[in-house]
Amino acid sequence: MPEIIDTSSIINSYVPVAIFLIVGVVMPPITMLIVKFLSPRSKSKQKFTTYESGSDPTGDARIQFNVEYYIYAIAFVLFDVEILFLYPWATVYRGHGITSIATTAILAFIVIMVIGFIYEWKKGALQWSTK
Amino acid sequence: MNGITLFAPELTVVATALVVLLIGLFLNTESKKVLGYLASAGLFASLVLTLMNLDANAVMYSGTLTVDALSQFFKIVFLIVALLVSVASIKYTENNEHVEEYFTLVLLAVVGMMMVASSNDLLVLFISFELASISTYALAGFERRNLKSLESAMKYFIIGALSSALMLFGISFVYGLAGTTNIPEIAQNSAMLVSSPLGIVSIVLLVAGFGFKIALVPFHMWAPDTYEGSPSVVSSLLAAGSKKMGFVAAFKVFMIALVALKTELTMAFAILSVITMTLGNVIALSQNSVKRMLAYSSVAQAGYISMAFVVMSPMAITGGLFYILSHGFMKAGAFLVTAVVGYMILSENREAENVDHLENFKGLAKRMPISAFSMMIFVFALAGIPLTAGYMSKFVLFSSTIEAGLVWLAVIAILNSAISLYYYARVVKYMYFYPAEGERVSEPLPYALTLIAAVVGVLILGFWPEPFIQWAMEAANVLIAT
Repeated sequence: MPEIIDTSSIINSYVPVAIFLIVGVVMPPITMLIVKFLSPRSKSKQKFTTYESGSDPTGDARIQFNVEYYIYAIAFVLFDVEILFLYPWATVYRGHGITSIATTAILAFIVIMVIGFIYEWKKGALQWSTK
Repeated sequence: MNGITLFAPELTVVATALVVLLIGLFLNTESKKVLGYLASAGLFASLVLTLMNLDANAVMYSGTLTVDALSQFFKIVFLIVALLVSVASIKYTENNEHVEEYFTLVLLAVVGMMMVASSNDLLVLFISFELASISTYALAGFERRNLKSLESAMKYFIIGALSSALMLFGISFVYGLAGTTNIPEIAQNSAMLVSSPLGIVSIVLLVAGFGFKIALVPFHMWAPDTYEGSPSVVSSLLAAGSKKMGFVAAFKVFMIALVALKTELTMAFAILSVITMTLGNVIALSQNSVKRMLAYSSVAQAGYISMAFVVMSPMAITGGLFYILSHGFMKAGAFLVTAVVGYMILSENREAENVDHLENFKGLAKRMPISAFSMMIFVFALAGIPLTAGYMSKFVLFSSTIEAGLVWLAVIAILNSAISLYYYARVVKYMYFYPAEGERVSEPLPYALTLIAAVVGVLILGFWPEPFIQWAMEAANVLIAT
């Protein structure tokens, strides 16, 4: 740690940062330019059709989704994470002398998950309303 | 297990949050009032448990969490603020059907703040920070039919998410250079941090990340809009609680982990604190919305407190911590007064807009004497009038600055305090020297209780500050000794 402030050394220590910054800013445009010059371009009519055997698009891409999908997605993530935690727990909980503490910990975790689930259920988030 | 007893306060709050959520599901809207009492009781129990372990000192769970004077100091600040907010919210959430979500979010936000105060590892710190942030994002938009509240939540969320990303980016650099995320170990392995320019990059990113929460000036843009648009009780939690969380995180990271980069830090914070206090005070002068004025004044106060990072002497940190404690009372109280005034205006006219406009404070002394008197105490404390908490904290902080030879900084800070007196006194003028434009309204009991409690806090800290300064000094020693 430098005890006396030496201004030139402070400025010099910023030089790598500046290089880092300049390279970061300049790199993307350069790559784009290289691609523009090097890659062959063919503007055929086929190019603007749907890829391979895909079906032709109909309607606007920006449609409104039912917000209930979102709640289902969240519920899915919730239980996905639960499984993710249960797997490592199941593999280590025996034979490492941590059985009791591991069981308590996972039980606490599951209780919290269940409370979340009860909340979701009770609030009617799992009810698919058809309006 | 020792860890369980020391973490009883956090566990109590978590358990209360879950119980409130679960019970609330099975109650009808009228009987949901009990949830507010339950949440307040849980916070009070947690406060008592923290006070019982006031001088505990331990590092737990493989060095990821620590309980020491500093963490206990901040936990008590958070719990007091949360208790004030939650008691006041009993009235605010009356006849609302989402009471259980409201109190669960408040409690979880408090747990996040308390865990930040206890964290001894950058990752634990980050996750706790996020717990508190995400809960408050939802709270800011609690009035979901109110466009202003939604706007404030949106701004807060987007800028908060950006700041979290910056903070995590900074943490990744620190980890890359020091090879660990454990805060004391980073301090030991700081050789690479000092020699590599990336050390400075990480400092910049971390200052930005914490600066957003603290509302330091280049990163303060969200604060006025969010404080103005959110429900007043939530603004109170944000300004008095969430902001302090940014400070404790910054204290831990900059003064313990990255103390080797002190030279760079001091320079950065000197500039930031001067800009922050000046800009906050100057813009506050022209505000007609009281909440917006308080938001800018809160930005200015953040500038004063960050002077502790410039001086970094034990006395300055003590001053900063004492300021944080007293700011908790004054700012939470001032925002709660705006909540009471909002209640008064809305009870007369349900369609009223801009309820926190200065015009609505006209003749408040006649209409709601308790609120007007408390507001006077709070704004005078914020301005630093003697015999209030604000004066003592400014005195300790500014005198430590002069002691450290930074007279110019102290002069700027004192000039700023003088500027701030104008807009604080203006509120008092509106409350006491203008005729009332309405009937006398009696304050609902929960509001009156919290205001009186906050006034008592401000006055005790002003009249008898020695034990609290002593206590702040003990907390400051944790930062200096390591």
